[in-house]
Amino acid sequence: MHSAGKSWLLLSGFVLFYIIYLLFGALVFSSIERPAEDQLRLDMDKLKDAFLNRSCVSAASLELFLSKVLSANKYGVSVLRNSSGTSNWDLASSMFFANTLVTTVGYGHPTPLSDAGKAFSIIYALLGVPFTMLVLTACVQRVMYPLVLAPIGLLQRSGLKPRPATVVHFLLLLVLVVLCFFLAPAAVFREVEVSWTFLDGIYFCFISLCTIGLGDFVPAAQPGQKYRALYQVAVMVYLFMGLMMMYLLLRSFHKMADLHGLTTFLQLPRCEDSVLEEDRETIMDSDPTPPPYLKDKDASKPLGPGSFPSYNSINKS
Amino acid sequence: MAAPDLLDPKAAVHNSKPRLSFSTKPVVLNTPDDDECDTRTTVMRWKTVSAIFFLVVLYLIIGATVFRALEQPQETNQKLDILAKKLNFLATHACVNSSELESLVKEVVTAVRGGVNPSGHLSNQTSLWDLSSSFFFAGTVITTIGFGNTSPHTKGGRIFCIIYALLGIPLFGFLLAGVGDQLGTIFGKGIAKVEKMIVKWKVSQTKIRVISTLLFILFGCLIFVALPAVIFKYIEDWSTLESVYFVVITLTTIGFGDFVVGEKSNSTEGRSESLEYYYKPVVLFWILVGLAYFAAVLSMIGDWFRVISKKTKEEVGEFRAHAAEWTANVSAEFKETRRRLSVDIYDRFQRAASIKRKLSSELGINASINQDMTPGKRTLSVNLCEDRETYSNMTLSLSPVPGALTRNGSFCLNGLSPNHADRQEIAIIENLK
Repeated sequence: MHSAGKSWLLLSGFVLFYIIYLLFGALVFSSIERPAEDQLRLDMDKLKDAFLNRSCVSAASLELFLSKVLSANKYGVSVLRNSSGTSNWDLASSMFFANTLVTTVGYGHPTPLSDAGKAFSIIYALLGVPFTMLVLTACVQRVMYPLVLAPIGLLQRSGLKPRPATVVHFLLLLVLVVLCFFLAPAAVFREVEVSWTFLDGIYFCFISLCTIGLGDFVPAAQPGQKYRALYQVAVMVYLFMGLMMMYLLLRSFHKMADLHGLTTFLQLPRCEDSVLEEDRETIMDSDPTPPPYLKDKDASKPLGPGSFPSYNSINKS
Repeated sequence: MAAPDLLDPKAAVHNSKPRLSFSTKPVVLNTPDDDECDTRTTVMRWKTVSAIFFLVVLYLIIGATVFRALEQPQETNQKLDILAKKLNFLATHACVNSSELESLVKEVVTAVRGGVNPSGHLSNQTSLWDLSSSFFFAGTVITTIGFGNTSPHTKGGRIFCIIYALLGIPLFGFLLAGVGDQLGTIFGKGIAKVEKMIVKWKVSQTKIRVISTLLFILFGCLIFVALPAVIFKYIEDWSTLESVYFVVITLTTIGFGDFVVGEKSNSTEGRSESLEYYYKPVVLFWILVGLAYFAAVLSMIGDWFRVISKKTKEEVGEFRAHAAEWTANVSAEFKETRRRLSVDIYDRFQRAASIKRKLSSELGINASINQDMTPGKRTLSVNLCEDRETYSNMTLSLSPVPGALTRNGSFCLNGLSPNHADRQEIAIIENLK
């Protein structure tokens, strides 16, 4: 009973802390973003007035036109001049869309328009999301040995104790991931995408790799992008590898916390390496001590009911 | 006595019959080397990983072709439609030239990305960054859904978003684990009760497990998917497909953002303030519990698969080992007994024959008594009667024992006319036992 009560207490503590965290975030976002929003509104007002002033357009028809343009834009159809050639649903873009669906990133640009597309997205996602999780976990398991266990062993052999070794290794891995999967791609994005800054690139990498996927920045969305298909495939590969590295980081952090006793303290699920049992190369439990009766007995001993219990020792006559 | 008796350890102890043994652990086939132990514990084979990877790529390609087939016609329709409208607009309003229009549209689109909707009267609109909407946005960031209908646009907002997510996502992960655990235990207790009721009907364990999983999934779908879909359809004025689409896309944390709760309320007026204020936090709470439910279902199914595969493997392994050992033991004991029996019988036969020789030589009577059986055969049948009692559990097919010879401990005759000499013979033979 005591442990059940303790877990309930812990859970309510978590919930409370979660709500407080959300409130805190809400306050900060509100205070940062609201002035910018108001400013943007004023600008829009001025623009509309300027447009309406010098033309014969009535406000109503402008409203109508704008609302149509906006609803089309929501689905990725742009009315601007130089975007008529590229489609959002050619093979590479559709594959990119399927990838965002299946990794749960979900940018939202483009989104399925037709009813059949929506229904198919539901089924596709329900099947594809667990499947992708499986693949990612399997790959991480495979990569775990050369990237985590071997270096930790190396560190241990060079004299460190297990606990500091895991901490050192985790920090090294963190630095490596940040360098290769945040800073370098952000620089690449800044070069390829015309309107992105370096901070925008880092922001995009982070939002994508955490699978949040707000969708305010989507690669290969600019009209007139060169080598669009190749670019999209490259971004897909980057997303997959990045997700794998994030899982790996999470796993090694979990192991480290396990070793330092944090998981038992917070009553979290322990490190489970047994994810996919049926494919593992098993280790059979060998009997540590052979049963005492499996010894050589005299063949001449008379047969009693219990003298030769195992067939191994019965002499073949 | 059938085989299960022999497999029962308790029965084996108390039986006086020859005990057959078995080990409680599966038979060890081979022991691996120690240095291979580290790499062999948790690593999947390369072939499997690459097979699964290719499967995923194939799945993506299939999805891509289907999406293209479904969506591209619709997209071209929309394009033509909006182009026509633009040309129409330009035609009806001659004082606007197309470049001005283009720039206006560009600005409008950027503004919409920033969350400001230029259509309608701008001053009446509720802000996208008031407290409840920011709360909702923070929730979507932490749960990694990320709708994207509102997103930070200032530099400070974006940097804060990164840091906020870095800390908040693990926190939410812990919370999800905890809620999922509690949900799992609650449902597990309920299912245990149901299982107890069903067990009276003598259904097998696996069937009960399967039925209870199905019940759990159905029940949860009803509460967390169907019910909210109906509520959203009513409140947000969506179609059924759109509500279900929204629920699924949200609960799998994909979160496109083409349908978001509370969007329409930004432009329409006439809702009570308090309702709007609490609407989004309630939706966030539903998202939390729904996500926990999904995670609980997945982990439960994963657990059961693991247990089932482990159990069946164990059971199959144990059963096979048991069966192998039992048959081996039985055949060995059988051979041994047969050997002993035949030796025994042969001994007695020899003894009987020698006695008979002695007797006949002593009595000097020729073996002219008409008998159907020689004394040897008679002794054999007599012996066999008694031995049958001891080895009754073995199916002996040594010699055809006639059905008439069935008496406990007593010798059985074969319908012979008792002769004086025979009686004496038999009496002597009886004494010899």
